[in-house]
Amino acid sequence: MGKLYVEAKPPVDLNKNTEWFMYPGVWTTYIAILFFSWLLVLSVFGCTPGAAWTVVNLFHFAVTYHFFHWKKGTPFAEDQGIYNALTWWEQMDNGKQLTRNRKFLTLVPVVLYLIASHTTDYQQPMLILNTLAVFVLVVAKFPNMHRVRIFGINAGN
Amino acid sequence: MVRLTYQIAFTTLLSYGILFVFGKLRDLFDKLLDWSKSNDPQGYAPICYGFQDFYTRRMYQRAKDCGGRPIASAPDAWLDVIERYSNDNNKTLHRTERTTKCLNLGSYNYLGFAAADEYCTPRVIQSLKQYSVSTCSVRVDGGTTKLHTELEKLVARFVGKPAAIVFGMGYATNSAIIPALISKGDLIISDSLNHNSIVNGARGSGAAVQVFQHNNPSHLEEVLREQIARGQPRKYRPWKKILVIIEGIYSMEGELCRLPEIMAVCKKYKAYTYLDEAHSIGAVGKTGRGVCELLGVDPADVDIMMGTFTKSFGSCGGYIAASKEIIQHLKRTCPAHLYATSMSPPAVQQVISAIKVILGEDGTNRGAKKLAQVRENSNFFRSELQNMGFEVLGDNDSPVMPIMIYNPGKIPAFSRECLSQNLAVVIVAYPATPLLLARARICISAAHTREDLIKGLEVISKVGDLVGMKYLPIGPLNHKAKEFSKLELIKIE
Repeated sequence: MGKLYVEAKPPVDLNKNTEWFMYPGVWTTYIAILFFSWLLVLSVFGCTPGAAWTVVNLFHFAVTYHFFHWKKGTPFAEDQGIYNALTWWEQMDNGKQLTRNRKFLTLVPVVLYLIASHTTDYQQPMLILNTLAVFVLVVAKFPNMHRVRIFGINAGN
Repeated sequence: MVRLTYQIAFTTLLSYGILFVFGKLRDLFDKLLDWSKSNDPQGYAPICYGFQDFYTRRMYQRAKDCGGRPIASAPDAWLDVIERYSNDNNKTLHRTERTTKCLNLGSYNYLGFAAADEYCTPRVIQSLKQYSVSTCSVRVDGGTTKLHTELEKLVARFVGKPAAIVFGMGYATNSAIIPALISKGDLIISDSLNHNSIVNGARGSGAAVQVFQHNNPSHLEEVLREQIARGQPRKYRPWKKILVIIEGIYSMEGELCRLPEIMAVCKKYKAYTYLDEAHSIGAVGKTGRGVCELLGVDPADVDIMMGTFTKSFGSCGGYIAASKEIIQHLKRTCPAHLYATSMSPPAVQQVISAIKVILGEDGTNRGAKKLAQVRENSNFFRSELQNMGFEVLGDNDSPVMPIMIYNPGKIPAFSRECLSQNLAVVIVAYPATPLLLARARICISAAHTREDLIKGLEVISKVGDLVGMKYLPIGPLNHKAKEFSKLELIKIE
């Protein structure tokens, strides 16, 4: 009986933008969203499973790059802009690197890449796109890339 | 700690995700369709960036009619809510001439002083005639009347400290006092669920702020040990002083703080303590003296005790009670005392009369009856709600009880359906609470009669069935709500 419920201890993160990620159920929801979007793509386009995984992978790349590594600041004005120079990835876990959440989020694009490239049999146009997606996402999540802005891209307000 | 099934967590996250996606789509269409209209007028910078108020525009606005409802009467057990309508999806809300009489389960009216009282109101009217509405001055200039000094002495006596100082606004008390006591080079360790006024005061003071896990004395000890050993950032010099800030009753959880354990930890490491009793003063304790009386802690041990007059005394304003030296220092340095208008004399008189009633100094035992009534009402309401299968937070004897809703779709549904059945409730969601843990907060009053409570329970049960909020099995639970007298957290399994 005890295992059906999950205990949520209020996390000590003061940043409302990232604190929701520390609750149980987030990882499952993320994976479920990816799986169901694959089913959706399959049913809408009627393409091969491999092409559907490629579409999901590229869409996932676009969305997570935009929201995790491009958009800076928080959607609330109450924190008075102390996070205005930090992307969501940099705000996560208060900037601590290599936490469980960060490792999970780094693993997801890699696993997606493996699935997408396997189901497309490593054929050419899909392979280079998938590889590019996973490369950019994983490099962006390296601890050494914390607060790094290459060539000053995205450094401004 | 609250229990969540994976199903609730999953559906709540999914709902927020869908709301987020739709909000983003609407923003996108906004930008596309208003391409010609330029946003920045003649080169001035925008007041807020599009992303910063995304939550207010796209998520809060959907439920805006559930908050800020104007009222047309005193917030007694029943109050008149003005009906509003909106023609453009809550962007603008228009008031009508009609009012609805609703059962009031949202106001902080723990002892029933919010409406006219037979002892307080004549004296308040008398002081209004004598001292007028405002002193029109700051305390140090011409704003200290006989009433103010009487109130300060009375508050100090009531709370059990040598001296006290009062301010016109409870929020300003916290946000102006903390910077007067703490500055750069000091450390503030505050509970993770502390009120926004404390957070603001701590930020404004310039001191370093650390947060410890809510109501967890062992984590507080961990944080204290680490911080004392480490010292100030970068220079590693020892902290000049450490202040631990906790609240008596946490308004969003309805639970009492574990005061004896936390005091023991602070004494061991010689940290100062600041207790914010906004919701507990006058509402808990045998004679209404707050959590210190309830949990058996000597008020002399807590260095600074803060409270407000808004909740149990039916007035407005806040106070700080501490040793004579601290109060003297505050009277010379605190900006809320030196530059803010002093408390309005009728409001002061209301507090004086309310405290006299609570202490029994008005010659009757109405105070003791009110305290017993609010305790009885809270316990009855809470146990009935738990029997119906709602997940209710908070300890026994606490008049604040949040009912968990979780799902963002259910939040405005609960509020609107309750209003249509003449029940006024307050709902709280993200970002005031964690994302997954939205709730409806019920505040019980001594003015509620048993019939009022039963009607409230009926409505909540019906609406809870409609909305789907009865997450727990019906019937008395195996584990009861935490009993403060045991002085230890019973883990909810």
